[in-house]
Amino acid sequence: MISTSRPQIVLGLVAIAALLAMPWLVTSDYYVNIATQIVIAAILAMSLNVLVGFGGMVSLGHASYLGVAAYLTVYLTAHAGFGPLAGALAAIAATTILAMLFGYLALRASGLGFLMITLALGQILWGIAYRWASLTGGDNGLGGAVRPHPLGVDLMNPTAFFYFALIFLAAAMWLISRFIQSGLGQSLQGARDQPRRMRALGYNVWLIQWLSFVFAGFWGAIAGMLYAYYNQFVSPQTLHLTTSAETLLMVIAGGTGTLFGPIVGAALVVILKNVVSAYITRWLMLLGIIFVTIVMFMPEGLVPGTRRLRGIVRKRRGSPTTPALPVTEERPT
Amino acid sequence: MTVPALEVTGLHRFFGGLPAVCDVSMRVPAGERRLLLGPNGAGKTTLFNLVAGDFPPSRGEIRIFGENVTRKTADQRTHLGMARTYQIITLFAKNTLLHNVVMSLMGLLRLRFNPLSDIRRQKTLWDEARATLALVGLEHLADRTVADTSYGEKRRLEIAMALAQKPKLLLLDEPLAGLSADERRDIQRLLQTIPREVTIIMIEHDMDVALAFADVITVMQRGQIVVEGNRADVVADPKTREVYLGH
Repeated sequence: MISTSRPQIVLGLVAIAALLAMPWLVTSDYYVNIATQIVIAAILAMSLNVLVGFGGMVSLGHASYLGVAAYLTVYLTAHAGFGPLAGALAAIAATTILAMLFGYLALRASGLGFLMITLALGQILWGIAYRWASLTGGDNGLGGAVRPHPLGVDLMNPTAFFYFALIFLAAAMWLISRFIQSGLGQSLQGARDQPRRMRALGYNVWLIQWLSFVFAGFWGAIAGMLYAYYNQFVSPQTLHLTTSAETLLMVIAGGTGTLFGPIVGAALVVILKNVVSAYITRWLMLLGIIFVTIVMFMPEGLVPGTRRLRGIVRKRRGSPTTPALPVTEERPT
Repeated sequence: MTVPALEVTGLHRFFGGLPAVCDVSMRVPAGERRLLLGPNGAGKTTLFNLVAGDFPPSRGEIRIFGENVTRKTADQRTHLGMARTYQIITLFAKNTLLHNVVMSLMGLLRLRFNPLSDIRRQKTLWDEARATLALVGLEHLADRTVADTSYGEKRRLEIAMALAQKPKLLLLDEPLAGLSADERRDIQRLLQTIPREVTIIMIEHDMDVALAFADVITVMQRGQIVVEGNRADVVADPKTREVYLGH
C-alpha cells in the first residue's frame, strides 16, 4: 500500500504552497499559463496512471477523452446553445459514457492487444475529427468557446483560471489517492499483479478493470473540459496519437504507480515543450535525451528514482535515524 | 441422497490434439477427504483448473453443490463456496502476509467494488485476517512482506488465504511440495484441524502423507481415472502399482 511518510507530507505541503503562490512568484502571465497547462496535463497524466501504474494496462488512446471532452465542450457551449456549466457537465458525462464503450472493447484483450485496441480507437476518433469537417471544423479545428464566470469570477484572467484548474487538480489528487486505497483500487492492483489468483479469490477481474477504465476516462474528460476552456479552441491534434504518447511519457518519466510521479512528468514535458522550445530549436531531441537518461538511471521514474537515490545517499552517510525505504513500499500490491 | 460437493461428468479437455483430461467422471460427497494421485502429466492439476474455472472443459459437466457451473467463471465458483491453493505459489509478493489475507477476505465482500472506502480503516477485516494467520501459525509474521518469508511460510499463507474464505469445498494442489520434514508435519497438523464439514480434494505425491489423510483415493493416468476406492482397495489394486512402479 502507499504509505504517506512525514517527509512526503512536508513535500506535499511545500508543493501545495508553491502552487498557490505561483501567480505571485512569477510576474508574467506567460508563466502562469504554463503552470495552468501543467495542471491540465497533470490531471490527464494522473488519470492515465490509474490504468498504467495501478492497473498495468498500457493505453495509447488516452487522448480520446481529452479530445472528445474538449470538442464537446466547445461545440455545446459555442455552437449548440448550452450554458458553460451545462455544456461542461454534458461533455464530461458523454465522454465518460464513451470510456464505458471503449473500456468494453479494449478489455477484450490484455497486454499488447489492449494497447493496440486503445491506439486504434484513438485513431478512429482522430480520423473523425480530421475528416468530418462540417461538425468538427476539420484541420482548422473548432473555436468560439468562452471561459465561464463561476460565482462572478472572470476566468479570462490567467491567474483566476490557474486557480480554477488547480481546484480540479486538488480534487483529482484527493479522489485518486482515495481510489488507490479503496477496495476497488486495491482490487485493481491485485488484478495487475496476479489476475489468476484474483479470480480464484472471487474477484471479477474484467469488471474491476472496466470500472477503473471508466474512472480514468472520467478524469481524462475533466482534463479535456479544462483544456477546452483554457484554449477556447480545439483541433484534431488533441486526439492525435502524439498526445496519447506524450501523456504516457509523462507517466513513465514521473513514475508509474505513484501519486506525484505523473505531476512531475507533466511538469517536465510541458516545460520542455513550451519554455525550452523557445530557446532550443531541437527541443524534441532534448526531450528524447532526457527520457533516455531517466530510463537508464531511474527506470522506475523520477519520483521513485529520487527516493531510491536519497536512500542510497543516506545509507552511504550511515544515517541511523531514517533508514531508506524500499521502493516497493510506494508500489501497492 | 445428499447433494455432492463436487460432481464431474464426462469431462474432457484437449490442448490442441493432446487429451489432458479424458472422460473423467467423479462424485465427491460433502465432507469427504479425497486424494488425487498420479504421476506427472496424469491430468490432476488440469482437472483442478477445470473445476476451479481457470479454463472451460472441451466437453462434460461440472456441478458444485448441485449447481451446474460448467459455464460459470472462476470468481462465480468461488462465491459458491469453493477455494483453492496453487501448485506454483501465487501470492502478492510485495505485500505483507496480512494484506494478502485481507485481499482474500475482500474477494467475497462488496467492498471490492467500492472506489472510496479506505480498506486500511476496515478494522474488522484486518482483525479477521490476523486471526486467520494465527490459525496457520503465521501471526507473528503478519507485517512481513511475502518476499521476505520462507517457502514453507508461503505454503502456509496459501492455505490461510483459502481458509479465510471459509470454503465448503477446498482444492489443495500439492500443499506439501518442496517442504522440509518439519514443515510437512506442520501442514499435516494444520489440515487435520480443518472442520469436517469442509470437503477437501487434495493432489499429493507423498503416499504416506496422502494415505493417512484421505477417505477416498482417485488414481489418474494419462488424463483418465484408473483406480478409485478407499485406501485399502487402492493400495491393493495392481493398477496402482503399475501406475507408480511401471509393472
